[in-house]
Amino acid sequence: MPTLLLLLSGCASLPEAVRELDANTGRVELEDAPFFPQQRYQCGPAALTTVLTMSGASVSLPAIVDKVYLPEKSGSLQVELMAATRTSGRLPYVIDGTLSAVWNELAAGRAVVVLQNLGVAAIPRWHYAVVVGIDPQRGEVILRSGTDKRRITTTKTFLRTWRRGDYWAIVVLRPDELPAHVDQGRYFEAIAALEQAGQLDEAAVAWQTALRVWPGSSAVLFGLGNVRFASGLFAEAEEFYRRLLARDDRPLVARNNLALALAQQQEFDAALAEISIALAQNNDAALVSELEHTQETIRKMQADSQ
Amino acid sequence: MMSFRARGFVVRLMSVALICMGFVQTSSAGMISTGYLIDNETRDASLARVEVLLARQDIERQLLAFGVDADMVAERLRGMSNTELLALEGRLDEQLAGGDALAVIGTVFLVLLILELVGVTDIFKSI
Repeated sequence: MPTLLLLLSGCASLPEAVRELDANTGRVELEDAPFFPQQRYQCGPAALTTVLTMSGASVSLPAIVDKVYLPEKSGSLQVELMAATRTSGRLPYVIDGTLSAVWNELAAGRAVVVLQNLGVAAIPRWHYAVVVGIDPQRGEVILRSGTDKRRITTTKTFLRTWRRGDYWAIVVLRPDELPAHVDQGRYFEAIAALEQAGQLDEAAVAWQTALRVWPGSSAVLFGLGNVRFASGLFAEAEEFYRRLLARDDRPLVARNNLALALAQQQEFDAALAEISIALAQNNDAALVSELEHTQETIRKMQADSQ
Repeated sequence: MMSFRARGFVVRLMSVALICMGFVQTSSAGMISTGYLIDNETRDASLARVEVLLARQDIERQLLAFGVDADMVAERLRGMSNTELLALEGRLDEQLAGGDALAVIGTVFLVLLILELVGVTDIFKSI
């Protein structure tokens, strides 16, 4: 029995003052959040379908099950929830693991998918749920969870189960939406990942959204150039690379892609001139082979066109 | 499992082979992806592309082993970023899977029940 007590006190040492919300914070609940009761082991698909539906994506629970459920693991991986969000045309964004960050998203009308460990570290029971409300006065968190449409958990218990899930929480953003609190690096990476997933139109809208917040950012202009390039819109791509280089002529990767965009428009001499500039400016050994490879590609394109 | 050094060698070898074979040549041949400016990466881009390719194949095998339908594997891989693919390679096994699965018996059950009653866990309520 003393062992058990020790165990209990160990589990109870939560920095609650930092984690809990001030009782004066307003109550928030997204009552209209839909509910998809889960099938056995399928809390991941159910939670994701809830937030995707709220963001206006047209998805169905069976289709999401096919995208994220791993039969032999009786569950879903976090990375697959992120991937399925992208292939549904939405931007998965990991928010800070604090109750106030969750509150801010709820106040902006977005429910939050969280990972909980409902058991203990040694005997885990990993569970995804959707936070749809927080009542700071009553000390309650309101969830769409499993087969409970409106599961009410005390904030203390919620924080314990969430802590064991490493405070993991994501929101699903439309490409034209910003998170309530935006971390530039994390947000840019999220958009670049959407681009890699081949969601070019959505990524273009997201980069335009970012451009409004960070006008003239090299990363954003580069991203816009790249999505245009990948969509075969080479003149538009060229324009974004030029805008970037007019503000900052150092990113040689942008000059590399500018050269390729020019070559795609049959402007081979201008393309080769840009690559020459890049090769002359470059002092990064890792980039040399890339630039030389591009030069070769352009020469080959030029020869083929004659 | 290949040693780190051996793996590095294979990646370089394949990198050369694939470039020679024209595999890396796509419609956007030579285009450097957005991630390079964001992560401030200076690594050899073609090397990185091959590493991602290897990671993708590894994860493809593992998804099949974990019961994913063959015709869904490509769709599931499509949404993963290069960073995620590289992080997941060879480690899909160790990833936690949220799904409420639980297998406990005897005394463990009793301890859990007590933990539940005093509010440390939230394991037994209908989920």
